[in-house]
Amino acid sequence: MKDLMLKVRNLKVIFPNQMGVLKAVEGIDFDIPKGKCVAIVGESGCGKSVTSLAVMKLLNSPPAMVRVDELVLDGADLKDYTDQMMQEVRGKQISMIFQDAMTALNPVMTIGKQIDEVFIRHGKMDKGEARIATIKALELVGVPEPKSRANQFPHQLSGGMRQRVLIAMAFACMPKLIIADEPTTALDVTIQAQVLDVLSDMQKKHEVSLLLITHDLSVVANMADTIYVMYSGKIVEKAKVRELFLHPHHPYTIGLLGSIPKLSDEVHKFVQIPDAVPHPMFKPTGCYFHPRCSHSTLKCSQVMPPLKTLLNGREIRCFHPQNVVDFEEVAHE
Amino acid sequence: MSKPIILSMKNVSVHFPVKGALPFSKKRVVSAVSDVSVDIFQGETFGIVGESGCGKSTLANAMIGLVRPTSGEVLFKGNKLYSLSPQEFKEIRRDMQMIFQDPFSSLNPRFNVYQIISEPMKIRGGASVDEMKKRVIELLELVGLSEKDLYRYPSDFSGGQRQRIGIARAIILNPDFLVCDEPVSALDVSVHAQILNLLMELQEKLKMTYVFISHNLAVVKSICDHMVVMYLGNVMESGSTKAIYQHPLHPYTNALLSAVLDVDLDNKKERILLQGDIPSPINPPRGCRFYQRCPYAMKGCVDKKPALIEIEPEHFVACHYINPFAQEEINAGLAKPLNL
Amino acid sequence: MKSFMNGLKEMLSGIWGFIRKLWRHPKGRIGLIIVILLVVCALFAPWIAPYDPYDVTQRAQKGLSPSFQHLLGTTITTGQDIFSMLIYGTRVSLTIGVVTGVSLAFLGALMGICAGYIGGFADTLIMRIVDVLLVIPTLPLTIVLTNLFGRSYLMIILIFTLFGWTGLARVIRSLVLVLKNANYVKAAELAGASRWHIMMKHILPGTSHLLIMSTALTSAGIMVAEAGLSFLGLGDPTAISWGKMLAEAQSGGALLFGHWWWIIAPGIGIFLAVFSFMRIGLVMEEVFNPKMKQSSNIYKLFKNLNNTYIEEVFSSMSEAQILGVGGEQS
Repeated sequence: MKDLMLKVRNLKVIFPNQMGVLKAVEGIDFDIPKGKCVAIVGESGCGKSVTSLAVMKLLNSPPAMVRVDELVLDGADLKDYTDQMMQEVRGKQISMIFQDAMTALNPVMTIGKQIDEVFIRHGKMDKGEARIATIKALELVGVPEPKSRANQFPHQLSGGMRQRVLIAMAFACMPKLIIADEPTTALDVTIQAQVLDVLSDMQKKHEVSLLLITHDLSVVANMADTIYVMYSGKIVEKAKVRELFLHPHHPYTIGLLGSIPKLSDEVHKFVQIPDAVPHPMFKPTGCYFHPRCSHSTLKCSQVMPPLKTLLNGREIRCFHPQNVVDFEEVAHE
Repeated sequence: MSKPIILSMKNVSVHFPVKGALPFSKKRVVSAVSDVSVDIFQGETFGIVGESGCGKSTLANAMIGLVRPTSGEVLFKGNKLYSLSPQEFKEIRRDMQMIFQDPFSSLNPRFNVYQIISEPMKIRGGASVDEMKKRVIELLELVGLSEKDLYRYPSDFSGGQRQRIGIARAIILNPDFLVCDEPVSALDVSVHAQILNLLMELQEKLKMTYVFISHNLAVVKSICDHMVVMYLGNVMESGSTKAIYQHPLHPYTNALLSAVLDVDLDNKKERILLQGDIPSPINPPRGCRFYQRCPYAMKGCVDKKPALIEIEPEHFVACHYINPFAQEEINAGLAKPLNL
Repeated sequence: MKSFMNGLKEMLSGIWGFIRKLWRHPKGRIGLIIVILLVVCALFAPWIAPYDPYDVTQRAQKGLSPSFQHLLGTTITTGQDIFSMLIYGTRVSLTIGVVTGVSLAFLGALMGICAGYIGGFADTLIMRIVDVLLVIPTLPLTIVLTNLFGRSYLMIILIFTLFGWTGLARVIRSLVLVLKNANYVKAAELAGASRWHIMMKHILPGTSHLLIMSTALTSAGIMVAEAGLSFLGLGDPTAISWGKMLAEAQSGGALLFGHWWWIIAPGIGIFLAVFSFMRIGLVMEEVFNPKMKQSSNIYKLFKNLNNTYIEEVFSSMSEAQILGVGGEQS
C-alpha cells in the first residue's frame, strides 16, 4: 500500500437539519495511487463535491458531521489532525482548483502577487526569486506574455486565463495531491480543451496525484486512469477508464454514457434515463437507482446491493450488472 | 428547398453602446451581431452554434423581437417585424416563443405552476378560468407532469421538471416558432436526453419550427436540419447540417468539432487546439474576425473581410483560405502566411 | 377596477402572511406584541388614561410622586398626570412613525420602480434628484422650514417623506434592474404583456419584502427623530409627545427635584416603540434571507441533536450493514 497517495475508507458526511438528516456521502472508499489521476463522476447532489471538501477537511461542523475510518495522505493519517495542522497540509501537500476562478482569486491583488505569495510562504523564497518562479509557472501553463500578465488583476483576464492562473497556483507549492472540482465546467468548448490539455500535461510532468471531480464523462475520458461513479452518496461503480467506457456494468453508468450524444451517432433519438436524481433527504429504499432502472426487480427495491469486487479489480454495486464478460465474484474483504 | 421560409433575416446587425470611462470620452459600441442573413424553413430545426460572446443569443433575441436590430430587416411570415404597429407586433409575436437556458430564473418563484403556465393566456385574454385550467392540465400532461403539480411552486421541482414547466408555458399559445436557448446546458447530464426527446416529440406533434442554440455540436448534429456557426457576431459557416458535418471547411468549425471531447477511446483523433482567447467584441478585427486564432491566417485576412460564399449546394463558408484571393490580390502579397 | 380590487386583495393576504410569519418567529412575536399594545394605547387613549393630560389647572396636584392615584406622579410645573401623558404620547409617536414610514415606502417604491423599469430619461432625472437630495442636511432644513411654515406634525411628516425616500429608491431601483432582466419577465413580454402588467405582477411583488422591511425600520428611525425634534422644541406645541415630555421634564426641573420617573417614563415609551419596530424589521430581514435564518438556527439544532439517532444514521450507512442484510437475503 506504499504507492497510495490518498486512501479514504468509509467516509460519511451528513447534514442534520430541521426536517431530518440529509445523508450526503454514505460510507465511500477510494484510493488515489501516486502520480495517477482518479476521477469521481456524478450528477449534482450525488455528494462528489462534499467528498472533496471532506478530504480537505474543509467542512464546518455545524452544519456538517463527518465520520471517516481512514484518511491517509502519503502515510500520514489526517483523521485526527487539528485545524492548525490541516492548514499546513492544505497549503503544502494538497491544493485545490475550483470551478469558479473569479471567486477563488483575490480581485484586488495582481495575479503575480498572488502566486508570489505561494512561493514565498511554501518555497521559502525572497520576493525576487518568487517573481522569477511565478513567471516561469505562468509560462508553463501557457499564459502568453507572462511578465506583463503577472501585473494584471483577475478581472482583466478571460475565463480560460484565470483557470490557467489557478492551475499555476495549485502547482506552485509542489503539492502531493491536487483536487480539481469541475475545473472546466464554466468554460467554452475550445477553451475547455486548452485548459484540460494544460492540466493533464502539468499532472504528468510533475507526477502529482490528481483527484478530478466532474459531472462530465467526456472530460474524464481523456484525463483519468480510474473512475469512481457516484450516485446519491454511494459509489456504484469503479473501473479503469477504458473498461468503464467499453463495458459499463452498472445501469446508471450505461445510462450516463448513453445520454452523451456523440458526433459519430446517426440517431435522432437520445437514450434517456427516466425521472431525476432523488432528493438527498428522501432517498428510495433498496438500491437508490432502482426507480429509474430498467433492470430493477423486487429485490432491488428492498435491499441495497453491496459493493462487489470483481476479478479484474472493478467494483460494482448492482444485483443485475450488464455487459459482464468475466464476471466472477470475489469475496469482499 | 420546397419548404416555405418562415423567418428570414436580411443583413441584421445589433450594436450595443458602451459608456466610456469618462463622460465625454468617445462612445464605443459592442457589435454583438453584424451583418447576418439567415433563412429558416418551416417545420425545421435551425441550429446556431458558437462559443459564449459570439452573439448567438443576441441573434435569437433579434429574431423574436426582444432586441431591436440596429440595422437590417427581420421578416416573419412575410411581415417586416420591426415596421409593424405595436399592436400588430404584439399579435404576431405570440406565434414566437422562447425556452430559456436557466430554468431557475425563468420561472417567477412567487407564482405557482398554474399561474406560470396560464400567464400568456391570461395576458392574451378571452379565456375563462375553467378553459385555462383545462388547457394547463392538458399541457402539463403533454410535457410529462401531472395535474397534482398544478398548485406547487417552482422551488418544489428539480431542474428538469422546471424546464418542462417552461416548455409548457412556451407552447400554451400554440406558437409555430420556438427558440430554444441552450435548453439543457443547465441541467443534469442524465436529464438532457429526456428534455431533448420531449422537445423533438413536441415538434412532431405540434409542427413547430425550432431555433436551437447550443454549444454542443453533437446535439446539433442529431437534431438540426440547417445551421450557422458564429464567431464574434459573424457567420463563419452555414448551410445544411449534413453538408457541414460531412465536410467541415472553415478552420473554426474544424477546431470546434475537434474540441468536442468524445468518449470514443479507440479512434483518437488529432485535436486542433486553438491558440488564445475569444477577442473582445468591442473593436473587433476589421477583416476576418477569426484571424488572430486561425492556424491558416494570411496577410490579407487582417484587413479584408471574407464574404459568405456557396462552396457546394447548401453550404456557405466565409474564409479566404477556402475561397482564395483573386490573382491581383495574391500578387499584392495578401496570401502570404501571417506571422503573429 | 376589478384588477385593482384583486390587487388589493392580494396585498392584504400578503400582509396577513407576513404577520403570521412574524408570529411564528420568537423574536418577531415580542415585537408584534409590543406594537399591538402600543396601537391599543394610541387608539383607546381616552379610555385608558385615568386623567385628562391636557388639564393644566390642577395646581393643587403639582409635583406629586408616584402613587396609586397618579401611577407616575404629576408634573412639577402644571400638575398634569404623567401616566396619562405617556398614553397620549403614543398617538403622536406612532402616527408620525407609521405614516412617514408608509409614505416613504410608497414614494421610494414609485421612484425606484420608475427609474429602474422605465429607464432612460426618467431614470436620469430621478437619480439626479436623488443625488441632490442626498447632500441636503435634513435637520437644519427641518428647523428652517418649521420656523417658516409653522410647527405642525404634518410639516414634519412632509419633510421627512420628501427628503427620506432617496435611499430606498436607490435600493429598489437596483433590485428592479435585476428583476427586469429575469427570464420570466422576458417570457411575459413575449406573450404580449403590457408594461403595466409586468410592473404589477412581476416587479412590484418582487420588491415587496424590501418595502415592508424598510417601512418597519424607517418608522423606528422617524420615531427617534421626532422625539429629538420635539425635545428641541420643534414639534407641534399643542400636542403631547414623548419628546416634548422630555423637554418639559428638563425645563421643569425634574432632575433638580429628583423626579426621575418624569424622565424615565417617556424614555421607556420611546425605547419600546423603536425596539419593537426594529425587531420586526430585523426579523423580516431574517425571514426573507433564509441563509441568515439557517445559520442562527443550526447551532441550536446541533446542541440538541439526538446522539443515539445520529449514531444509528451513521451505522446504517456502513457497507458491513448492507452486506449483512444482503447476505441474508441472497
